[in-house]
Amino acid sequence: MKPLPEQDHYEVLELVPGASAEEIERAYQVACSAYAEDSLATYSLFGEDDVRELRRRVEAAYRVLSDAVSRRDYDRALRGDEPEPPEIELALDPLLDARRGLEPRLETAPPPPPLEGFDEEAQDDATPFDGARLRRARLRRGFDLERIAGITKINPTYLRWIEEERFDDLPAAVYVRGFVTAYARCVGLEPVTAAAGYVQLMETARSAQRRGRR
Amino acid sequence: MAAALARERRSVVVVDADLEGANLHTCVGVPNPRASLADFVAHREEDLAKLVVETPIPNLRLLAGTQGNLGSAQPGHFRRVRLLQELRRLRCEFVLLDLGAGTHPAVIDYFLAGDEGVLVLTPEPTSVENAYSFLRAAFYRRLRLTLLAGGARKLVAQAMDQRNERGIRTPLDLLREIQAVDPEEGQRFVASLREFRPRIVVNEVRTADEIKLGFAVKSVCQKYFGIEADYLGYVNHDEAARRSVLSRRPLVEIEPSSDAAVYIGRIARKLLAAAPPRRATAAPR
Repeated sequence: MKPLPEQDHYEVLELVPGASAEEIERAYQVACSAYAEDSLATYSLFGEDDVRELRRRVEAAYRVLSDAVSRRDYDRALRGDEPEPPEIELALDPLLDARRGLEPRLETAPPPPPLEGFDEEAQDDATPFDGARLRRARLRRGFDLERIAGITKINPTYLRWIEEERFDDLPAAVYVRGFVTAYARCVGLEPVTAAAGYVQLMETARSAQRRGRR
Repeated sequence: MAAALARERRSVVVVDADLEGANLHTCVGVPNPRASLADFVAHREEDLAKLVVETPIPNLRLLAGTQGNLGSAQPGHFRRVRLLQELRRLRCEFVLLDLGAGTHPAVIDYFLAGDEGVLVLTPEPTSVENAYSFLRAAFYRRLRLTLLAGGARKLVAQAMDQRNERGIRTPLDLLREIQAVDPEEGQRFVASLREFRPRIVVNEVRTADEIKLGFAVKSVCQKYFGIEADYLGYVNHDEAARRSVLSRRPLVEIEPSSDAAVYIGRIARKLLAAAPPRRATAAPR
């Protein structure tokens, strides 16, 4: 248990030295969320200066650990093989980052891995591919509907209707199959099975409604 | 959560330890429990097992909270100790304590007495602030009970006062102070920290960002308190939860396929994996 100034880059991101690139990415996302300006998590505990310092350390740690060469040098320094490389001075302002020739990070980051093992898709196996299951898979990836719409180019209204199972409002099955296929692929579900399951659910509901009207 | 554990075929006794606001009996379909903790608190019954009543849910029994005894709802210290001893003697696999909000010493004691402590918060500033207040109170109480030397205990008392003059702002500051005063107690402090692993559940989640709050709180716990919290899971906002309360039956019973019930089931299974049976579990609301 060390105070922040004494923590190395791994400790700042709450990682072990052998952490994979995916673990580093995930830890960085968590830290960005935890120490963002309007973060709920720091509310009432940390002052503005504390949070600013935490973010500076998080950015510095990520810069080093996400780059294979920098990380190798840093690991050597940690082991005492050679002097620790100087800490890169970072701005938290993306515009300033751009002026310094640093690439924007969040925009180019790969899609985030699932948030954590506790809600693995495998536990959902027994449930049908309904709107709720699609939504759970989306939340697990940390996506909002706008993000899915941005990736799939599907109107977010249709995506919302798919989740809410508004079968009356959704277009013909052939379109819905395409939408769900793209949605499922985006959130890490098996797309063909998910689309088939969802369309079957929709067709059953529509048939039942037609019979009810007669 | 208790009903979800019961659905996993575990024998569970759920205890309404929210003595100032007892209402758990209503949630599990026992409108008028024939006995309650009030009988134990008032020394009318010494055998806690006789106060446990059946519920309509298989594998789930209830120890109801006090009723009609608001003036002296919380038992005194020694009675509390006896209560905790008796709870461990109940014949079941899991005892789950439902605790009230706030930082009353009794609530903290129940939380600390459990083998696992689960803290439920919602993604709102007030709830997060309350969660940290609770953690801070639990953390310092645990420390005071752990430390032996008078000087170190005095430092903890000073740290609990937010306006302390020694400038102890965080538990890490406190550790440095204690180590300076008494290195042996400093070691005891660190050992106590390692054993304290509260588990976090985020309830009423509506967005992907709100799910991340649990990870963020876990990180803050590490950075601020120096403690390793576990993020047990989240439960999304679901109208089915309201229907469950209105029907006075647990959500996992009446709408097991609802979103919220699915999430609660996952948390229960994760808790089962983490906490072996025959242990008491405390969950403040």
